[in-house]
Amino acid sequence: MRVALFVTCLADLMKPGVAFAAIRLLEHGGCTVEVPRTQTCCGQPAYNSGDRATAIALAKKALAEFEGFDYVVAPSGSCGGMVRAHYPELFRDDPATLKRIEGLASRTYELTDFLVNVLKLDSVPGDFKGTVTYHDSCSGLRELNVKAQPRALLAKLPGVTLTEMNEAETCCGFGGTFSLKFGEVSTQLADNKCGNACATGADAIVGGDLGCLLNIEGRLRRRGDLKTRVLHIAEVLAGRSE
Amino acid sequence: MELRANEFRARAAANLGDAKLQRGLGLIKVKAVVNRASAVAEFGDFEALRETGKAIRDRALADLDLYLERFEREAAARGAVVHWAENASEACRIVVDIARENGVKTVAKSKSMVSEEVGLNDALIAAGVTPVETDLGEYILQINDAEPPSHIVMPVIHKTAEDVADLFHAKHGTPRKTDPALLTREAREILRPKFLSAEMGVSGANFLVAETGSTLIVTNEGNGRLCTTLTRIHVALTGIEKVVPTLEDAATLLRLLPRSATGQAITNYVSLHTGPKHIEETDGPRQFHIVLVDNGRSKLLAGEMREMLRCIRCGACMNHCPVYQAVGGHAYGWVYPGPMGNILTPSYVGLENAVQLPNAATLCNQCGVVCPVKIPLPDLMRKLREEQMARGLKPFGERLGLALWGWAAQRPALYALGTRLAARFMKWLGGRGRLIHRLPLAGGWSDGRDFPAPAGRTFRELYQRSKR
Amino acid sequence: MSARENILGRVRSALSRKVSPGDTATIESHLAAHPVGLQPPRDWEPELRFRARAEALASTVEKVSSLQAVPAAVARYLVVNNLPTGGVCWPGLRKLDWIGAGLGMEDRPARGDDLVGVTGCFCAVAETGTLMLLSGPDTPAATSLLPETHIALVDTARIVPFMEDAWALLRAERGRLPRAVNFVSGPSRTADIEQTVTMGAHGPYRVHLILVG
Repeated sequence: MRVALFVTCLADLMKPGVAFAAIRLLEHGGCTVEVPRTQTCCGQPAYNSGDRATAIALAKKALAEFEGFDYVVAPSGSCGGMVRAHYPELFRDDPATLKRIEGLASRTYELTDFLVNVLKLDSVPGDFKGTVTYHDSCSGLRELNVKAQPRALLAKLPGVTLTEMNEAETCCGFGGTFSLKFGEVSTQLADNKCGNACATGADAIVGGDLGCLLNIEGRLRRRGDLKTRVLHIAEVLAGRSE
Repeated sequence: MELRANEFRARAAANLGDAKLQRGLGLIKVKAVVNRASAVAEFGDFEALRETGKAIRDRALADLDLYLERFEREAAARGAVVHWAENASEACRIVVDIARENGVKTVAKSKSMVSEEVGLNDALIAAGVTPVETDLGEYILQINDAEPPSHIVMPVIHKTAEDVADLFHAKHGTPRKTDPALLTREAREILRPKFLSAEMGVSGANFLVAETGSTLIVTNEGNGRLCTTLTRIHVALTGIEKVVPTLEDAATLLRLLPRSATGQAITNYVSLHTGPKHIEETDGPRQFHIVLVDNGRSKLLAGEMREMLRCIRCGACMNHCPVYQAVGGHAYGWVYPGPMGNILTPSYVGLENAVQLPNAATLCNQCGVVCPVKIPLPDLMRKLREEQMARGLKPFGERLGLALWGWAAQRPALYALGTRLAARFMKWLGGRGRLIHRLPLAGGWSDGRDFPAPAGRTFRELYQRSKR
Repeated sequence: MSARENILGRVRSALSRKVSPGDTATIESHLAAHPVGLQPPRDWEPELRFRARAEALASTVEKVSSLQAVPAAVARYLVVNNLPTGGVCWPGLRKLDWIGAGLGMEDRPARGDDLVGVTGCFCAVAETGTLMLLSGPDTPAATSLLPETHIALVDTARIVPFMEDAWALLRAERGRLPRAVNFVSGPSRTADIEQTVTMGAHGPYRVHLILVG
């Protein structure tokens, strides 16, 4: 099974460990993983800002880079959602490209969804010990139905106890450029999320989207909490890697 | 209503710090949201019901002209007078003329968001006619110097019982009381004589039934019935998009609307009005006027915002929106707050006059998931952002940033270099604690949050290194 | 051009309307068929469901075997609840033996100061515990609306499962809608203040249903 890793711009810049962890998990599941060299960004920031032209350009670029693989896997509900749920809409006036894009979309998965529903992993290599609570990011949840998958994977780690937070499905307030343009509201929502997460007493807040995690961790630290860890699920499942 | 949509950010920020408001808003999550969830669970296949509701509204919109004509024909055949108003001022002129021609001094108003939209109360007052709001929430706002509503279903959701207690004590001169039941009773006693003496009743319409030429309103208080039964003249003011084909279609939508709005299986009263009273009846209005208002709706029908016209004004979107829950309805600066307001306000008043609103959302889609007629609200907001971009209405900084990002992201070698530099720079900014306290050019983030510093090397360079 | 023509013109062009205005063939079959939409599963018996729902919505409910038993039932209800032993009723109910039950019931339209109103109903909807009242010279609307106490007689043979059944019954028996159709599901209420539900807003404070059958 030839799987292309969709690194995501945030993992590339901010947390390479997440991408390495994703590779580790995919190889653990028997995949041959390749990382298309010229990939940059799925185009979601442009798309959500109304810059349709750039989004289309980046989608075409991604199509060229990822088309040839059996599967494309992204450690991100945002990027996975962009490709699966929104790329086709970008090409509604371009039937020739649309067909190819639909093909790409149908083969693109968010990481945990791929591990559970395609690879059907029995085990994961990680050895995390402690309590965790899981934040459901909006795109993963509402665009890709990612909800049970990360929890099923966490359950495979004997050292992990999962405690659900209140309002796990409520937006953390990131929303891409929203976090900059409406910083006060964004910060309030992040604060609400931190409050709910910390109320569980968990050692770590875990999620599937780096945008959310940077936002949550940023608020957490500003609140004075330097102890609670904020981890991407790939890191938890794959064990320490870098 | 005064338009203040371009003040959203500032007002939102102020509302975050308003402790009293936050207490009121905090009830949304424990009441409106919970109540809807219970009602949905109790119904059973609510998803199928949403799909059916969407189909009914789409059917009406697909033949809107034909259904409107049929509605008009049926209503007129039953003795109603059907008026058409292209815009807000026409709508007001029509209602004021009806009042003038009939020597109306007092108008008893049942809740109507369209009346807010067109500014009816001000027009009536200017013409020497006194409008009296009878819905408890709208009445509270009216006596509070005509404060605007902050929600389309629960107009004083932003007020606490203490607020209302203070207000009634001040305006009625009665002993101060905080029990909602006693406050409600007091309002009932004050308003009852107004129902009995008003010459004209103005209502909205939740639906217009084309098959029978009937207007339909849903209420819990009974004020809707009182305004439309006791007065000599009943005027129903409504948007043209409210038409539904049949009584059965209305019955289906009535399963969706109360559950989505307040978690009720049915509102206490559902009233259909068809024509004025017959000669042998003892109650009912002698005249029944229906004012069909366009005010931008036909324009929406033609464009990309068309799906927004399915809206049945339940308020579920704003109840579930984390932004609305945090800042309340007044921040949105016009008649329609929350997600539906992010779309309708710019659509009706012009994007340039409400340019912040489509951006005042994280696109989390909690709204879309609860919308009873499956309006893809985040998609519509995104389309407005596209229009904003295309019309050059984006702030220069944002346009520059986006252009730079888009340009670089299409040039992998340049992108690789740029990100390598950025990773090192940010690592340096973060220092030993690996936290950046002030992100350059990003006060919106840094005012309230740190930014975790990256490790300093991009995945791209580490991966390439590992492959050697 | 009138506002009407302008508005309909814009709507037609928005819909790229090809048929000529006034050609309603496209909508006729749906209007004629008026198909029923989605109803919840009907896993209940109508009278039991009606009663359970009405009680859940804060009406009180009792049952008598015939119309003759109604005045005594009304009297019991009013006395037990310390309510005035008199009020107004619909003309059709005038013939019941109110006086024999010690009640002063007037057959006239309700006024603002009437405290008790007794009505029947056209039918009742089991799904939601709802009364369907039709306006008319013999069924004045104000009687169920102005008084603080509304007592409604419900013929158990006219409890139908769903609102759509009520529409079907109306079409079959009356042909067309009266001026006002009011569906009533209990005492009036509001939750405008802190989303706390309080009973007795502008309509009745209490609703007592007497099932007859």
